[in-house]
Amino acid sequence: MTRNSPVPGHGEDGPTTTTAPGAAPGALDRDKLFTARLHAARVRPYLATALFALHVVESRRVPTMGVDRYWRCYVSPAFVERTPVEELAGVWVHEVSHLLRDHHARSDRVARERGLNGPGERLRMNIAADFEINDDVYGDGLARPEGVVEPGDLGLSEGELMEEYLRQFTLGPRSQDLAWLDCGSGADGLDREWELGPDGAHGLSEQERDAVRFRVAQGITGRPGSAPQGWRRWAEEAFHPPQPWRELLGAAVRSAASGPGAGEDYTYGRPARRSTALPSTVLPSLRRRPPRVSVIIDTSGSVSDAELGSALLEVAAIARAVGGRRDLVTVVPCDASAGFARRLCRAEGIALTGGGGTDLRAGFTRALRSRPSPDVIVALTDGQTPWPGARPPCRTVVGLFPRRHQGPAHDENNPDYVPDSPPTWARVVDIGP
Amino acid sequence: MRTHIPSPSDTASQLDVAGDLLALLRDTTTEPRPDTQLEALTLAVAADLPVLLWGEPGIGKTAALTQLATALDLPLTTVIASVHEPSDFSGLPIVGDDPAEQGVPMAPPDWAVRLVRAGRGLLFLDELSTAPPAVQAALLRLVLERRIGALRLPPGVRIVAAANPRSSAADGWELSPPLANRFVHLQWTHDTDVVVRGLGGVWPRATLPRLDPERLPEAVDFARRAVCGLLAARPGLAHRLPSGETRRGGPWPSPRSWEMTLHLVAFATAAGSSRDVLSLLVRGTVGDGPGLELLASLDRMDLPDPETLLADPAAAVLPQRGDLRQAALDGVVAAVRNRPERHRWDAAWALLVKALETGPPDVVVVPATTLASLRRDDWDVPASIERLAGVVSLSRRADRTTAAAKAGR
Repeated sequence: MTRNSPVPGHGEDGPTTTTAPGAAPGALDRDKLFTARLHAARVRPYLATALFALHVVESRRVPTMGVDRYWRCYVSPAFVERTPVEELAGVWVHEVSHLLRDHHARSDRVARERGLNGPGERLRMNIAADFEINDDVYGDGLARPEGVVEPGDLGLSEGELMEEYLRQFTLGPRSQDLAWLDCGSGADGLDREWELGPDGAHGLSEQERDAVRFRVAQGITGRPGSAPQGWRRWAEEAFHPPQPWRELLGAAVRSAASGPGAGEDYTYGRPARRSTALPSTVLPSLRRRPPRVSVIIDTSGSVSDAELGSALLEVAAIARAVGGRRDLVTVVPCDASAGFARRLCRAEGIALTGGGGTDLRAGFTRALRSRPSPDVIVALTDGQTPWPGARPPCRTVVGLFPRRHQGPAHDENNPDYVPDSPPTWARVVDIGP
Repeated sequence: MRTHIPSPSDTASQLDVAGDLLALLRDTTTEPRPDTQLEALTLAVAADLPVLLWGEPGIGKTAALTQLATALDLPLTTVIASVHEPSDFSGLPIVGDDPAEQGVPMAPPDWAVRLVRAGRGLLFLDELSTAPPAVQAALLRLVLERRIGALRLPPGVRIVAAANPRSSAADGWELSPPLANRFVHLQWTHDTDVVVRGLGGVWPRATLPRLDPERLPEAVDFARRAVCGLLAARPGLAHRLPSGETRRGGPWPSPRSWEMTLHLVAFATAAGSSRDVLSLLVRGTVGDGPGLELLASLDRMDLPDPETLLADPAAAVLPQRGDLRQAALDGVVAAVRNRPERHRWDAAWALLVKALETGPPDVVVVPATTLASLRRDDWDVPASIERLAGVVSLSRRADRTTAAAKAGR
């Protein structure tokens, strides 16, 4: 902090605001800035911890306000000067949202996965991250700052994630006037030259950042109702992000297929090849028995063809990968009654007949009655079905299609109807979009 | 084109030249560099807890183990699980002359015999994930019961295992919840900077934690207070089986893993390790949620004691971070509320003034409002409250903003 601090009575020992080196002593209206923060904390009490954890750094090189990944908030005195308090409060919440939603790490991840490099791509990430925040953060006591970008500005729909927005626009004439936008490395992972970096003062360590995010998430899940839907979803997923369902389904099927009794394992049923060299020793030998996989498909009206198609392709590919020959995979379409089991090799395009209500119990019976009996049953369903009362004599994986309206009343005729959740003996994988 | 038939001496000299080139390539130096994950691994191994390293193949898990063995001065034995048969770990049954009378002994492999003879060492079980299930089953007995055939590993032997994450493991290796509960799970990642610098000839040399003999009682006391304090307040955290596919095979809280956590907190405290190291260890033992709750309660334990602050406001040191500072001030106000006395009330005002002078003003608003409401009729407003006038106007301004925002809607 500079010696000529503009605020009287502001001691040298406790820097509340750090002035970036080289910045001229200016009139950062601290009272205005902190009034705005207080207002933000009042109208969004569940974000108060995060707001107060930000460390303010005065900087003349940041265009408006920006954050870095160490939870420092860079503030332009001129921006504070010209922005009304109500809007400043909105900017506070906007900037802290970047950090809570981990936009810098997600940007780095996207950059790595999709090979998006350079300042132009980072600017796109900043814009996409802003879209994710801005579509539901304002209102309800929080003013929308002037010049804020929203997905509608580029003709995009609301309520999506940064990663999804990134696929949907390019920098062109329509986004030209967004180019001044700059929320710092906390938004897009690209280090700015005005930032203090990892070794600068008052940065939060990774553990401290996680702790603050955790406490905010806990505050939201602990008091449901006070926070809007978007924040509640964030809080639920903050430390348990939705997993890639393809990999999970693959791991579940692989694990089921390579368990004892199926797949590759040792057996004392035949002598090992090493036995001749070690005459007095009894050795097991490695034997391979490819697993038989039975896929039960919920063809009731509530599951869409696109969902079924994608999941079925995955299962077939996984079954091939675990060494099951294609002819060892059978498919049982099932709604209220089960169709015939078909070998995957014979039916390239399996006619998935059905469309009424669901009773997967029929499908389980059908799959288990086939000879030889399967080593693994994979059931693909939306879960609106009764389940077998007893554990089947083979491993079971349930691929569950998500249903948006998880409220208790699904059935108008029977409002108390709650579908059973999948039984505990099954491995359940949520198949997401 | 001229053909050249090399003479025997020529070949030898070519090999010498190749040797020189290899020596040049091997000629690397090291530089000190803090390494959080290696420090966490060292502490867990020092605490004699079985560690499971999760990491993609080829990112330097073996190199890290070599460094660890050097640092702990232990001979390293690496066993690649996937090239062994189950009997190599459970013991080879050797049929003798009279099995009915003498039984069939289970003969251990040579490396186990050498380890037991040495009495100490670091056993690294690599590639757990690519071994067939029967081999994995035999290995788990080795990890958990420390038995190989008829032999029992001496206490001086420490065990570390490594596995590939489920998404990249072809055989879908995963732990059942009871087994997962016995490991400290560490995610092993590589740092591109380290790799680039290392290939350029400078590898990092981690400064490993050293336990401070003087701090041992204090460390045990701290760890007990931390874990017991949390579990007393949140009994639901003591035991919670993992539910759902995503958390399968990972760490989860149980009395056993909390005891491991207690040990790790004590070790990290005695070694003076950073919170980042402790965070890796704790979250790798009881899971993310309970681990973060423990870390959050450690943060609260770090807050200054309200009674100490009230006793001498002039000497008080308040936390720098705004959220922690507000928590500390809230604690002070709560202490005054519990035992409302004139001099304590005055001391609290002095603390608020001090907070205002050394930090952002908005943090002071809520504690100041609460403290004002605790006033008794015969208590005069202290002179120092004048200096809080700015806070009052700040608060009023925020009130007006709130009202305006509500009206504008």
